[in-house]
Formats: sequence, C-alpha cells, structure tokens
Amino acid sequence: MSGRIAVLVFPGTNSEDETLRLLRECGGDADLVHWSNAGALDEYDAYVLPGGFAYEDRVRAGAIAAHDRMMDRVIEGTQRGKLALGICNGAQILLEAGLVPGTGAVRRPTAAFTHNAPVPHFVCRHVYVKLAMDPARSPMTAGLANDAVIPAYTANGQGRLVATPERLREIAAGDHQAFVYARADGSLGDDAIPNGSASGIAALVNREGNVLAIMPHPERDAWNFNHLDRAEGSDPLAPSGGAVFFRSFVAGVRR
Amino acid sequence: MRDALALRDDELERIALALGREPTVVELHAFDAQWSEHCSYKSSRHHLKKLPVAGGDVALGPGEDSGILHLGEHDGVRYGIVIAHESHNHPSQVVPFEGAATGIGGIVRDVLCMGAEVIGVADPLRFGRVEDPGSHQRTVARGVVDGIGAYGNAIGVPNLAGDVYFDEGFDDNALVNVVAMGLVKLDEVVHSYAPPGAAGWDVVLVGKATDPSGFGGASFSSLVLDAGDEEANKGAVQVPDPFLKNVLMRASYRVFAMLRERKLVVGFKDLGAGGIMGCSAEIVSSGGFGAQIDLDAVNVAVEGMPPEVVAVGETQERLIWVLPPEITPEVLRIYNEEFTLPEIAYNARAVRIGGVTAERRYVLRHRGTTVMDVDIEFLTGSIRDELPYVECTRVEPARRELPAVDVETLLPKILAHRDVCSREPLYRRYDWVVRGRTVLPRGAADAGVLAPVPGARLGVALAVAGNPRIGRLDARYAGAHAVLEAVRRVIAVGARPIGLTDCLNFGNPRKPEQYGEFVAAVEGLSDAARALDLAFVSGNVSLYNESKSGRAVPASPIVACVGAVRDVGHVVSPGLRRAGSALLWIGSRELAVGGSVLAEIAAIEGDLPAIDYVAENEAMGMIKAGIARGSVLSCRAVGDGGMLVALARLAFDAYARGRRLGFEIDFANPFCETGGFVCEVTGDSELDLSGALRVGTTLDRPEIVANGSRFGIAELRRVWSQPLEEVYP
Repeated sequence: MSGRIAVLVFPGTNSEDETLRLLRECGGDADLVHWSNAGALDEYDAYVLPGGFAYEDRVRAGAIAAHDRMMDRVIEGTQRGKLALGICNGAQILLEAGLVPGTGAVRRPTAAFTHNAPVPHFVCRHVYVKLAMDPARSPMTAGLANDAVIPAYTANGQGRLVATPERLREIAAGDHQAFVYARADGSLGDDAIPNGSASGIAALVNREGNVLAIMPHPERDAWNFNHLDRAEGSDPLAPSGGAVFFRSFVAGVRR
Repeated sequence: MRDALALRDDELERIALALGREPTVVELHAFDAQWSEHCSYKSSRHHLKKLPVAGGDVALGPGEDSGILHLGEHDGVRYGIVIAHESHNHPSQVVPFEGAATGIGGIVRDVLCMGAEVIGVADPLRFGRVEDPGSHQRTVARGVVDGIGAYGNAIGVPNLAGDVYFDEGFDDNALVNVVAMGLVKLDEVVHSYAPPGAAGWDVVLVGKATDPSGFGGASFSSLVLDAGDEEANKGAVQVPDPFLKNVLMRASYRVFAMLRERKLVVGFKDLGAGGIMGCSAEIVSSGGFGAQIDLDAVNVAVEGMPPEVVAVGETQERLIWVLPPEITPEVLRIYNEEFTLPEIAYNARAVRIGGVTAERRYVLRHRGTTVMDVDIEFLTGSIRDELPYVECTRVEPARRELPAVDVETLLPKILAHRDVCSREPLYRRYDWVVRGRTVLPRGAADAGVLAPVPGARLGVALAVAGNPRIGRLDARYAGAHAVLEAVRRVIAVGARPIGLTDCLNFGNPRKPEQYGEFVAAVEGLSDAARALDLAFVSGNVSLYNESKSGRAVPASPIVACVGAVRDVGHVVSPGLRRAGSALLWIGSRELAVGGSVLAEIAAIEGDLPAIDYVAENEAMGMIKAGIARGSVLSCRAVGDGGMLVALARLAFDAYARGRRLGFEIDFANPFCETGGFVCEVTGDSELDLSGALRVGTTLDRPEIVANGSRFGIAELRRVWSQPLEEVYP
C-alpha cells in the first residue's frame, strides 16, 4: 500500500482544510476529494471524513450523507480492509452507514449520535478523551500509549450516543468503545461528559478495528497555539495533543 | 406582499422630472430601494465624512463591500484582514432566527467578495428585558442567538467576539450587529467594481434561485416598525440557506484560485439591499460603466414573478461577477458542475444575466420589453438628504453621589448583573474553533485571537464595544467610549490595534432630537479614533430604530477593533498566573459613577468619568510595552462593573484552567468604570510604574479579599455564571 489518504468533502462539510493540513503535517499523503468526483476514491488507501453539516444534517446528522455516492466507495473499501476515520459529522456519517459499531447491516445503524442532553443544543467546549481499549485494537490507535489522553473540542448539536440497552451491552461486550470523555488527568466523571453520551463514549470502533468514529475534534487542538493550557514559553507552532492522535492514524495507514 | 413605497413625494417628483416621463413600476421599486437610507446613506453620508479613514495600516478604506487592513508579512507575502460590519436589526425583531442568520449570511458575502477567505465573525447584540419567559423580548433574544449559531456553525466560520446588553430601551427594537473578517493576500484583492476596459464583459449572477422573499427589504429597514404590520413585514425578511452558502463559499475560493492562475482582474460583489438591480447597477457604475440586464435569464424559484420582484427582491445567497466573456464558461463550470450548485438547492446556479455597457445607462429587459432605462449615475449616486438636527447634550445627573462602598453586598450583585454576568450560556452555542486556527476562543479573554495564516506566527485579534448605559446619557461620549473600550480589549490580549469599523444604530433621522444623537456620536467616534491614530475602514448606519411609541433605542454607536499580533506565542493567555504577583491598575482612577453598573444597582447618579486622550495613550503604551517585555502575566481591560470585576474575571479564568489562585486588593471604590487596565506583573518587573497604581497582590488560594471582605472564588464564580442559564439553558 502506498498509504494515500482521501479527505472526503460532502456538500456541507466545513472542516476539510484543517484536517487535510494536519494529516500532511503528520506525514500523511492526503488530498481533498469532492462529492462530484466520487470515483477518485478508489485510488486511495484510507478515508478521513471531516466535520461539518453534510447535506444540512437533514433527517438526522449523517443520515443523508451515508447514502452519498462517496459512501458506496467507503463501504466497499472498508470491507476490503481500508481504514476510515470519521470526526464529528464524519463520525455521524460512519455510524449512519452502519460501519460503527458495525454490529448490524450496512446502512442499518444500531445506535445513533443524536441531540445533546440535557438541553438539545449545539455545544462548543474543550474536552479530553481517553483511549478506552488496547491501542493495538485498531491500527489507527496503535501508536498511542495505553490510556492515552487526547485534547479536543466538542462542537456539535448531535453528539450524544444513544442505543437500546441490548445494543449498548453489545458495544461494551464487543470492545467497540474506542475513546471515552475524561478529565485532563485521565480520570472519569460526569462533569467531563459534555452531552450525556451513553457510558461517556466519545468514539466507536468496529469489530475489525479499521473504522473509527470520534465525535470531538482533535484537529482543533493540534498546535500549541490552539491549546490554552500550553506551557509558558512553548513554541506556538509545535504540535499539541491533537496531533498525537493524527500521527498514530497516519502511521496506521502506512503500516 | 407590501406595496407601500418608502419614497417621499418630492423624491417621486425628482424621478419623474429626470426621466421626462412617469417612472415604470420596476423603476419605482428600483429607486425606492436604491434611494432608501439603507442603500444610499442619503442623510448620513456627509456626517460620516468626519470619520478618519486613512492611516498606516489601511490597505483599503471605506467605499467597497469591505475595508482591508494590513496585518503583516509572512514569507515575503503581505496579508490583509478584510473587515465588514453591519446591522440586521429590523428583520431580527420580526423573525429573530432568520433575521439574525441572514445577518451573518450577508456580512460573510461582503467579505467573501473581496477575494478573501472568511475566517471569523463577531456579534454585538442588544436585547430588551428578558426576565419574563413568555415575552417577545425573550423570543427575540433566543431566536437571534440560535440563528447566528445555526448559520455561522454550518458555514464553518468561528465566532470570535461579541457582546450583549439587555436594556428596556431595546424592548421594541433589538439590535443585531454582525462583523465578519477575512484573510486575503494584498496583491490578490478582488474589487467590488467593474475593472477598466470591462465594456462588453459579462454580468454573471451566482447563487440561490431568485424567489419572492425579501421583496422591499431595503426600504423596510428604513421604516419605523409597527407592531400591527408585523405579518406584512415578515414578507420583507429573507430566508437563510447556510448549506448552500457553505458550498458557494468553497466554490468561490476555487474560482479565486483559477483567476489568480490566469492573472485576471475582475469584479465581484454581494447582492444585498436592492437585489439584482442594486448590485449590478453599483458594480458597473462604480467602474464608470452602465449595464443591460435580461431578467428572463435569471434563475428563479417560481415562474411568473413580476419583473420588479426579480429585479429588487433580496433573496439571500447571491453574488454578481463581472467577467471577461472568455472566462465565463469556466466560472459557470466550477459553480454548476464541480460544485454542483443545481443539486445543492433548487435551481441554484451561476448564469450570465447581461452585459456591461460603455453607455452610462441602466437597462432592464423583461419578456422582450424594456422595463427600466435610466441614467445610472442618477440611480446610484445622486441622492442626498440633509436633515435638520438638534445639538445633542449630555443628560446631566440630578445628583452627584459617591456612597460608601459596601463590597460585601455589592460584589455578588454586580457580578450577577445582566450586563456583567457570564455570556457563556449564549456563546457556547457558537462554534469558535472550526477551521483550527483559534488561539483565544470566544469568551476566553477580552478579544478573540486567530492564527490566520497556516504555518505563520502572525495573529489577528478582534473585539467589539458599545455601552447603552452610556448611550442614553451622552451620544458623543458613547461614540468615544466605544472606540476606547474596543481598542483596550485588543491591547489587553497583546495585540496592536490596526483599525476600526462601526455600526451606528440610532432612531428616526426625521426627528431632530434623535438625529442629533447620531451626529454627536459620529463626532465622538471621530475624536477618539483621531486621538488614537486609528481609521475606520468600513461601517454601516442603521436608522429608524424606533418603536411606534416614538421611543428611539439608546444611542448605540458600536465599534469593532482589529489588532495585529506579530507572534501568537506572545498573546496574553487568560487568567491569573501565579501567587505573589503585584496587581496594577493602569489608567484613570477618577471616582465617577455615571453610566456604571454600580450607579444602576445602588440607584445613584453621578458624572461620567472625564476622557483624557493623553492619559489613554500613555496607559495603552504602558500595557503594550509591558506585554512586549514579557512582564505582564495577565491583563484585562476595565469595563462594565469596574476594576474589581475585571480582577474577578482574571481569577475566574485561572480557576477554569485549574489554577487555584486569588487576590487581595484595597481601593476606595473598585466599581467605578473609568477604563484603563488591570494587570498582573512579575515581581522583578521592569514595567515603568509611574502612572500605575499597585492595588493588590495575587494569593495562593482561590479567594478574593477586597477592602477586607472575603469571597470564595468557586461560589462567586457560580453567582457570575448562572444568570443567563435560564435564558439560554
């Protein structure tokens, strides 16, 4: 594999440029691929679905985009083992496409990222997420330490994971919880969860470990200048915690 | 649909005289829009000439859709900050969500059309009293915030700055001001006029299919709102489509890149007031041309609309290009095929609708007939309306009081006051970090800061100001105060102020007392900007902010200030840094309570603090120098609630970042709003202390000790952060 990464742009995507730039800074061979050029996706080895409001979040965030022509290629590619990472709206699309947690059929989601709780509003807030599985469970996280804590921003109106009790048990039993919300020191607590997400889940992974959907944005806390708690005198242009996750992803693509 | 025209009888007579015939229906509506205050600034323009518009950092002054400031250089490239500021008051009062959303949509297009990437927005808001959950005021206050969030979040532009005041003076007429900022390389600016040699070029309309929404919008905003007309007025409000705008922006960025590759100079302009007619007439007229437009070529949402609706209706999400004909097919291909506009929204597309003519006439054709044919200069440039005004005087206090200050009871009350308490319940609904360039997010400090150029240390800061408690006392002072406060906020984060914009929200210009407030405020803006050697590069006037009861809003000159940061590593980060530092107050310490939160809470009156520009410049210079030397650890401008509130905010900011620090101060009246700065400085500070007063010391525990009264920071922060939770849960 040559390790080429496609950053998918759906109508309504809004985080493609910073996602592309960080992938490249982390050594990734990445390009933007627009919806009118879906066929080009076959030339890539991994897919990144960035944040935004694809198809205006009509019906449910990610629901329409999951049926876009580009997703035909992503579904087919991931079934053949290609990697797919969805961030925020990208995570919602992967879930609506049935790729995470991947416990049902394609395009038949078994859970939902839905309106935040207790108040169903858009919430912008700095958060930390903690790796909740063995790093080796997915090539995308293999470069992270056990219990790695990654800084990110949550910025969505529909980021709360909900599922039936059986489906939640399935998620736990199948080790599909990739990241959970945590405090900066890695400890857990309700105050660290910005939206009432089930079990504090911030990211889901499929059984094979090649599809990962994360709601908060690590790429928005990617450089020291993004990070309010940076050490005094640190180089503002040096990578911060969000880049650690992207480096691991890029390494997973090249593996 | 409203058929009322805002044109006056004498204006109608002038039109008929100039045309030598009765105007057509289309012409009537065209002049109605083009000669409205909203489009023509007919009564305000000659007063606005008093404002300073030139200076060292100005790359493009007022006159086009946005102004441009020189930010700095990186890798030999000179970068500009494109900035625009306007109001969407009337629409937001009638349909708050859509009115505010289209405010963001419109201001973003003003910045986009300069060839810029849109990088940030700000939203100065003024609402009425929202205590009653069932009130229209609360509906407006919520709907506006949700509209701004829904639009800005979807297009992916971070919200960096803003402020909000709640005052009964805005009960019938909320103010929704919007600011947008863009990044452009200074040699790649696209102008809002047809370039030299453009005769025979194409006029290309791009965006949403024209529909009947927003018909009469320009003249609507130049009328006084009448509650009984609300249903009829709703038709004048446009419908936002941030989804289409998101795609339109990205497609336009692609067109910019294509034009740069081919080194082509073209014209690009936002459709705002006056619709297709207003935009196409202005873009060709300001280049010295005329135009012939074929209304049948316009992509429409419904067939059979009257020509005047197609011509002047204010459907959102549209722009006009003036292009050499050989490049038109490629531009149409990018919008319609690469970015599939027709699939994004019904019949959205880019389409050629006419041509630029050497003859200085503006001609509209519809179904084979000419429905408008006028001298373009007469249409776009000739209107002027000098209205009488009464010299505005200060509302002098009935009494001059300075009570003994009981910090123990006053501090919690002031922190919970609606003008002082935390705005986070409101701005957490906005995305302040999309695009990944945010250094100081919304609410983290006095100004928002971005690192706009990827890979560069350059930063840009943005802050707004405008205090209605002062506006109702003295309009001229309020103008000066808004400039000083916006500038201080930018300085407090470590930026160098490089330019200003203004939005002037006032009452009915046909009432000499209300108009006098506008005239006085412009003088105040001018005084302060000249004293600080800053220019206004763009702005907007919103008049007729008056309810049918005849009451105007408090004089509301609202200012935005842009700052340049040479190295974002040196931005002053939020919150107290360490225990044992000295706390300094730099600036005037006059004991005056006029216009303060203290005066309102204690029900007292007093004089406004004197403005001393020499002292202001000195204070600003000291802070700049202290930050540059690294001796200022934390800093805030002193504003609503006074010095003690500014210090409490520094302690709250530290607490939110996990630093358990506090401070102890002793000062006669720490709630006076005399301006200046409070800052924490290093013990071995080289700061020149002359003119600075040491008011206290930081503590190693989360406690505030003020004039002997003790407060726990966790509890005080709760008092400060709760009040707006009910309005914005």
